[in-house]
Amino acid sequence: MRIDYNIKDKFDFGLFLPALILFGFGLLAIYSSTVNNTFAQENFQRQIVWGIFSFILFFVVYSLPTNVFKSLAIPTYLVSLLLLIAVLAMGKQISGSKSWLVVGSFGFQPSEFAKIATIFAVASYLSRNNSDIDSFKDIIITLAIGFTPVLLILLEPDMGTSIVFVVIILMMFFWKGISSFSLFVVLSPAFVAVAAIFGTIYFVLALLLVIVALISFKKNLFFSASIFAIGLSSGFFTDYVYHALSPHQQRRIQSFLDPNADPLGSGYNTIQAKVAIGSGGLFGKGFLAGNQTQLQFIPEQWTDFAFCVVGEEFGFIGSIIVLSVFLILFLRILKLSHNTKDEFLGLVAIGILSVYLIHFIINLGMVVGILPVIGIPLPFISYGGSSLLVSMFMLGILANLYRTRKNYT
Amino acid sequence: MVVLAGRLFQMQILYRIEYDKKSTDNSIKSLELQPLRGIFYDRNYKVLVSNNPAYTLRITPAYYDTSLNKVLESVLGTEPGYVKNVLLKNRIYSKFLPVKIRKGVDFRVIAWYEENSDHLDGVDYIIEMQRFYPEGVIASHTFGYTKEISPEQLTKEKESYKPGDYVGNNGIEKTYEKLVCGVRGYSYILVDSKQRRIGKYQEGREDIPPKKGNDLVLSIEASAQKVAEAEFEGKRGALVAIEPSTGEILAMVSAPDYDLNRFSYFTPKSYLDTIYSDPATPLFNRATMSVHPPGSTFKMLAAIAALDMGVIDKSWTITCTGGFTYGRFFKCHGSHGTVNVVTAIEKSCNTFFYKLIYKIGLDNWKSYATRFGFGNATGIDLTEEVAGLIPNEAYYIKRYGDNWPKSIMASLGIGQGEVSVTPLQLVQYVSLIANNGKSKVPHVVRGYIDPETEELTQLEYKEINTGVSQSSLDIVKEGMFLVVNGHGTATHIKLPDIEICGKTGTAQNPHGKDHAWFVGFAPYENPKIAIAVLVENIGFGGTHAAPIAQKVIKAYLDSFKGENKPIKSEIAAVNKH
Repeated sequence: MRIDYNIKDKFDFGLFLPALILFGFGLLAIYSSTVNNTFAQENFQRQIVWGIFSFILFFVVYSLPTNVFKSLAIPTYLVSLLLLIAVLAMGKQISGSKSWLVVGSFGFQPSEFAKIATIFAVASYLSRNNSDIDSFKDIIITLAIGFTPVLLILLEPDMGTSIVFVVIILMMFFWKGISSFSLFVVLSPAFVAVAAIFGTIYFVLALLLVIVALISFKKNLFFSASIFAIGLSSGFFTDYVYHALSPHQQRRIQSFLDPNADPLGSGYNTIQAKVAIGSGGLFGKGFLAGNQTQLQFIPEQWTDFAFCVVGEEFGFIGSIIVLSVFLILFLRILKLSHNTKDEFLGLVAIGILSVYLIHFIINLGMVVGILPVIGIPLPFISYGGSSLLVSMFMLGILANLYRTRKNYT
Repeated sequence: MVVLAGRLFQMQILYRIEYDKKSTDNSIKSLELQPLRGIFYDRNYKVLVSNNPAYTLRITPAYYDTSLNKVLESVLGTEPGYVKNVLLKNRIYSKFLPVKIRKGVDFRVIAWYEENSDHLDGVDYIIEMQRFYPEGVIASHTFGYTKEISPEQLTKEKESYKPGDYVGNNGIEKTYEKLVCGVRGYSYILVDSKQRRIGKYQEGREDIPPKKGNDLVLSIEASAQKVAEAEFEGKRGALVAIEPSTGEILAMVSAPDYDLNRFSYFTPKSYLDTIYSDPATPLFNRATMSVHPPGSTFKMLAAIAALDMGVIDKSWTITCTGGFTYGRFFKCHGSHGTVNVVTAIEKSCNTFFYKLIYKIGLDNWKSYATRFGFGNATGIDLTEEVAGLIPNEAYYIKRYGDNWPKSIMASLGIGQGEVSVTPLQLVQYVSLIANNGKSKVPHVVRGYIDPETEELTQLEYKEINTGVSQSSLDIVKEGMFLVVNGHGTATHIKLPDIEICGKTGTAQNPHGKDHAWFVGFAPYENPKIAIAVLVENIGFGGTHAAPIAQKVIKAYLDSFKGENKPIKSEIAAVNKH
């Protein structure tokens, strides 16, 4: 049902322009943080090349027939699992984790690809005609689809990406309209697991809360006991995972709790990042004039800590502009997923939103020092081909949904 | 989103100043620029103490492989474990900050380093200034040396000094530390997160150059000082020469001395061991700190006291028959027959002075001694000084009771017994005699030159006035003139062109050979130099001390004739700095 052949009707500038602006900020940040670094100087040009590729990819994805996504969902998912297994077997180890597959001079992270594949797979499963999100079977299968890649990624080990997956799955559950009890069933093990990180007392308290909640839901005893057992075992599992973490990851968690305890060690980045942003003030120190940035106080600042450049050199105003652009993008995606009548596509849009959102929250939370240092990039801004390609790929899907939104009413 | 914006607001608006300061502290480092210490000139502006570049070997621990320790130790010639110890002491600092391993290393070591620097990662050297003594004047006790500041002094003077600073430890370097130390400067540089130097901050516009310390103009006269030092080679003793009208020290020697060059930065342990264990105590400044009975040099004091009090006059005579009996027999070294006060000084007749002190009275005698500066520190601008002792009645009553043997007094009359003085006190006394009872507190620094204005500021010293009548002094001076130029005890040092006045003395030494004294001044009219010479454990003063005094007097008075002025080109060059 084509009503009006207007460019605005076919192409969502509300999605594209924010991404373009953020990419622009990213280029400035990368240029500023690498211009004085002989080892990273060419990163700016590389990012431009990646940018060109990813914009081409965006338009390719934008132009695809929308039904392709659904039909490719399961095959893509299976391929991504194979790649995740492949990376464990023959991946390249970079800073303590095996997350890169290198072919010639080209390297990429299968976990980035797996994000999209998992969103498709979960959306596909949850949008089946006869799906019942509150059925035990559906919950378990969804979790299985979602957590298989998480397990593989945890083995790399890549904590940050694993957290992203967990959030994606939960957001999609929520969008699907899960009941409060089912949500509790899903969340309680996670709740217990997080509590276990802080120590035995918190672990026991969390278990007591779970028991109180189970009693108040008044479900049958066997079912409640099973939930409790899962919670209990997830707590022990956390302990196991914590000890299985590499020492540098353990230090990161500790340094989050007290960054000044080890100012030259793992707390170093947080302190220097805060100093960079805080010293920026209202208007910033000016482009290429931030001493924290120019003197390279933050190692590899052009990747995960790229926002520090914005904070230091463009100040509070620059930071708020970036935040606002992200907000506009997020609201646009939310509106799009709301307007999309097709359940699969709506779930995909929410999955993509959750990817952007969790990256945004974890990354910014990290650079302003309110969350631990978990190395994940800021979408569109941080340097890195994989991240940019995936972000633009997902944006392409969203633009594609917008283009054909009226076909699926 | 709100939380993040709030956090950004908190950081960038509310706590901005705090973060800004941290950011500045982070990246702008101040490098201390050590000021040059002031130069010491002699009274004729010859450079006595200057600064010379010296090599300091350093290690930057972050780049250094400790397996090189042994090689470095053998090249430096230090004991095994030396490098490790220095590094251990400095491990509290950043590994990227160089540690000074050894100051004042040989050029041979630097040449070796240059040849092998490829294999010596983390090792480098810098050039620092160290004290240098271009004139060949030793004067170790007078100049003093600098030493790394002690933790105790550092806690007292936190404002002025930092760990590792060198401060004057003794002598002029210590007394005038605040004048010569200069003001530290700073150079601001930009460093990256690894403390690596990126460049100058603001192209050095904010740098504060160090301010060189004030140059000191000493009262020392180089040629006289050199002659004095040469004369004392191989002897133990002291010499102080002073300008009577001003109290300015012209030469000061304490022998044996020590090599200041070896103290200027790094002092080898073996050298310190030698110095400390030497029975001749070279670190001890005999000129201001050794006390001995003045012997016959003290006879003028009794003469002045008696004349000034009016208990005798020039015509008052005694008959010397070779001694004096007061409870026991006190002998004279000859039978001088009829002597008046002038002859008594000329011939150093003991009998005259045995009798005289009873006419003066002990406490009066002490009061005159005190007026001439005995029994008290002179207040010289060197920190190490002792007061000596002049006994009075109270002293003997305390020691022996009310019925103390008055016979003790006889010895005091000829400067023996409990009376003890320093060479510095003796020269001050002679200069007071020479300059008609007036002088100034003895001192070695005349003034200082501000390196910026190049103006000389004269230092003021307190006047001393003995209040003794001119006629008494004239009579005594006549006696001293005859000691050298008449038929006295030092006629062998008589010079055709210089009228030296003097007095020999021998300090009895219960522990060994007597100490030889000579005090004197010259010329007879308008004296320009007063001198006291002590040679320890050698015998009669006339034989051993007087010739030294003669040579120093001659050297000093000759310096006015433009003879002894070897202003070499290199000294002139140093002068310009």
